[in-house]
Amino acid sequence: MARRRGRGMAACWYGIARTATVDRAAAWAEIDDGGTAKIATGVTEIGEGILTVLAQIAAEELGIRPQDVTIGDNDTARAPEAAHAGATRQTYMIGNAVALAARQARAQLVDVVASQWGVAANLVETANGEVFARKTNHRMPMGDAVSLCKSRGVVPVGAASFGTDTTGLDPVDGSGRPWQAYVFGCQVAEVEVDTLTGEVQVLGVWAVHDVGRAVNPRGVEGQIEGGIVQALGQALMEDYRIENGRTTTPGLAKYILPTALDVPHVTSVILEDRDPIGPLGVKGIGEPAMVPTIPAVMNAIYDAVGARITALPATPERVLEAIKERERASRHRAAAE
Amino acid sequence: MPDLRIDATVNGRAISRPAKPWQRLLDFLRDDLNLTGNKEGCGAGECGTCSVFLDGVLVKSCLVPVAKAQNARVETIESLGRAGALSVLQRAFHKAGASQCGYCIPGMVMAGTAALRANPLAGREEIRERLGGNICRCTGYQKILDAVELTRDVGNGTLPESALAEEEPADGRFIGANVRRLDAPSKVSGALKYAADMTMPGMLHVQVLRSPHPHARIVSIDTAGAQAMPGVAGVVMADDVPGIDGFGVFVNDQPVLARGKVRYVGDAIVAVAAEDELTARRALDHVTVVYDPLPAVFDPREAMRPGAPVIHDDAPDNITKHIPIRVGDVESGFARSDLIVTQTYSTQAIEHAYLEPEAGLGYVDPDGVVTIISPSQNITHHRHMLARILALPINRVRFIMSPVGGGFGGKEDMIYQGILALLAIKTGRPVRYVFTREESIIATAKRHPSRTTLKMGLTRDGRICAVEFRMISDGGAYGLSTEGVMRKAAILGAGPYNIANLRMDTYGVYTNNTPSGAFRSFGALQTQFATESHLDICAEKLGLDPFAIRRVNAMRDGAVTHTKQTLGSVSLMRALAAAEEAARWEAGPPSSRGATRHDLGGAGNRAPCTLGARFAAAEHAAQPEKVA
Repeated sequence: MARRRGRGMAACWYGIARTATVDRAAAWAEIDDGGTAKIATGVTEIGEGILTVLAQIAAEELGIRPQDVTIGDNDTARAPEAAHAGATRQTYMIGNAVALAARQARAQLVDVVASQWGVAANLVETANGEVFARKTNHRMPMGDAVSLCKSRGVVPVGAASFGTDTTGLDPVDGSGRPWQAYVFGCQVAEVEVDTLTGEVQVLGVWAVHDVGRAVNPRGVEGQIEGGIVQALGQALMEDYRIENGRTTTPGLAKYILPTALDVPHVTSVILEDRDPIGPLGVKGIGEPAMVPTIPAVMNAIYDAVGARITALPATPERVLEAIKERERASRHRAAAE
Repeated sequence: MPDLRIDATVNGRAISRPAKPWQRLLDFLRDDLNLTGNKEGCGAGECGTCSVFLDGVLVKSCLVPVAKAQNARVETIESLGRAGALSVLQRAFHKAGASQCGYCIPGMVMAGTAALRANPLAGREEIRERLGGNICRCTGYQKILDAVELTRDVGNGTLPESALAEEEPADGRFIGANVRRLDAPSKVSGALKYAADMTMPGMLHVQVLRSPHPHARIVSIDTAGAQAMPGVAGVVMADDVPGIDGFGVFVNDQPVLARGKVRYVGDAIVAVAAEDELTARRALDHVTVVYDPLPAVFDPREAMRPGAPVIHDDAPDNITKHIPIRVGDVESGFARSDLIVTQTYSTQAIEHAYLEPEAGLGYVDPDGVVTIISPSQNITHHRHMLARILALPINRVRFIMSPVGGGFGGKEDMIYQGILALLAIKTGRPVRYVFTREESIIATAKRHPSRTTLKMGLTRDGRICAVEFRMISDGGAYGLSTEGVMRKAAILGAGPYNIANLRMDTYGVYTNNTPSGAFRSFGALQTQFATESHLDICAEKLGLDPFAIRRVNAMRDGAVTHTKQTLGSVSLMRALAAAEEAARWEAGPPSSRGATRHDLGGAGNRAPCTLGARFAAAEHAAQPEKVA
């Protein structure tokens, strides 16, 4: 048979936020007129969906809707430091900072409302765009609560930062505390290998990742699906070639990327092992999503055709050569017996 | 060549305008008509983000000469819908979470629209084919395919229109809810402005002269010819840097513009700002650089040998960073092992291939603050570095992060923002620099290629006794993120396993290749590829199932890591069990048993791709009718 299927798996681990250094991020929050909110933090989207995640976090903390949150401002002159968009740190570092800042702003508003109603502040709740006091009939829209604050000379604001308790590595034995949050995962890949051409198709990937707590599960899936396909590109086709310092793959006609025809179906399973340190329990997903894919695919190719690929990418030429090598070896063994 | 006059209908409106004969339809739409919704991703017809309709046919506007638009009907993304009045397909993209960075999305929306116009009942495999000319680097395509299928189903009435609406969380809790992305309407409609879509009054255009040599001393640079050209407003080189030159994520070893020598093909040397891009590009032909080529080194193992060409004077051994990790005593661990397996693994350099090539604007504001707008992944650190380079107080430098059309680590390096600052200061005008795809590929960082030798000793029951792991990685011409990548590679490389005896060494090495830098998964990808492949090789030799060998060694709650950190909760065992269950894994040793497995081909797989099978099937189905 020309086409053979196989399966492989691989596990992974990853650290959340900056490595072996103290990480930190800050945010400012304001509960604004009409029961909306402004969040300022020095970060923007790189595509992962962080703006939506931060709006969800602020909305949940304040008891309003995500679409009522205005988020930004990605500007070193206008927003507090949130540092870089990378290291699987945005939901963890900035998400936790936004939650803390929103809690401060909410506390200011709650204090004003509680004194107006003559109730203890710890009885006052905010949810669904309303402020209310448990065990009473007191209730008002968030917008009215903001107006009340302003009539008392209070703009409900908060500012907070979130930092990590981490250390560098010892220069001799590497000991240290590089991260305070770790994630783990595991992927299974199913492939079909064409033994005449050496072409490998990845048909299915089952991906399990611990994210701490999924703020937006669809967004987590998007990170897993995208990460797997980037890894699949490195596994099977992508190759930046350079000869004597000059690239021979200078454009997208030469540098081959996965298209919609090349990609597997991905089944994502989200595990939630909450981070005990941060206020939200969130961890992250951006980078770990692509760590186990390549070995899972290489292990699946081995399962399908007995060819062990140790030099990436597993191009049709390399797979075919490995299949032939295996056939030569088994003929040798047969002849010897 | 005389100018053309283009008479066409663009998005339903008649236009009549002059155009240059060399312009592409994409340039005409973006630069002359200010229709910036469709983007340029590659300039070669490969990525599809510039896709528009020309007389109703989906075309890549970067491949269409503007003259082809004469008397034609052109429709861009702006014609399909706008925020508040999105098309069904755009709403489906919003609902499905089909946009991430958004840069490919205008082209995807055009291609998806074309697919369903061609066949309103197209199945998923046909949709894949019809989107096959459009590249997305973020999503993995799954949610894009979901969105097109959702559009089809709403279009043919098998799903109600309410399937496109936001699901309100029942309990009013937004953490844990599938809230639709707030930025999606601006992305699916092409309304969001990336840096290359932005203009400023009086803006100049930047082009950069780059090194054709991998390693050479610069003898002289003569810019007089360029300076004298009409339309050229400013020329800068290393001498124009007022402060301490040098940037990098970990070490500041890369000058804004080459200083004394070039270290890779693509090193920036001279930058020009001119009234238009063509003049700036022509001006580079009037810059004369005299080089004295130096011996170059392209293999990191050769670069580590004594006597190899030295690339940076402060790293005479060419080692950018070495990270060691030591646990226990590997020799005694190997002595106790029943099985010892040694294998070498290698990984290649990878291009980030974000769909948005680098682009940015620089200006000096009325208060004298040097301001850079760019898709930088680290405005905080870039501000620190640029203030030092410009010898300005830190609050006289401002970075604004424009929407990022894909980063993946590749936009953490301050590779061109210094050039924008120098030219904005020199000319006193706003400047903009937009990379071509080719320039992005030669000038910016790649994923570190690596070569790993892994020796593992295990007991008969699969317990790891000792690991010796040595990775040598090509960092290329500058340090960028090499130090951090080596650190993460070392900490995570041996995998989430209890290993009593470990000798781990990762080396990042300077060569005269394109620099390597930050790339999503940052060293953990290269090293865990080796470890996870190796565990399967060992499992086969020991007759163990792949899950079983990992369980024997898996870190559990309270484990001590290879850096001697005590962990709290460890979710690895749960992840293994969940993956085994989700995939319906059939246990057994990894011994090419694919042919005999019973867990293949089930739910969760796509149909294998056979190009053209759809047409063959259609033809086959049509045959009997012909006979009849």
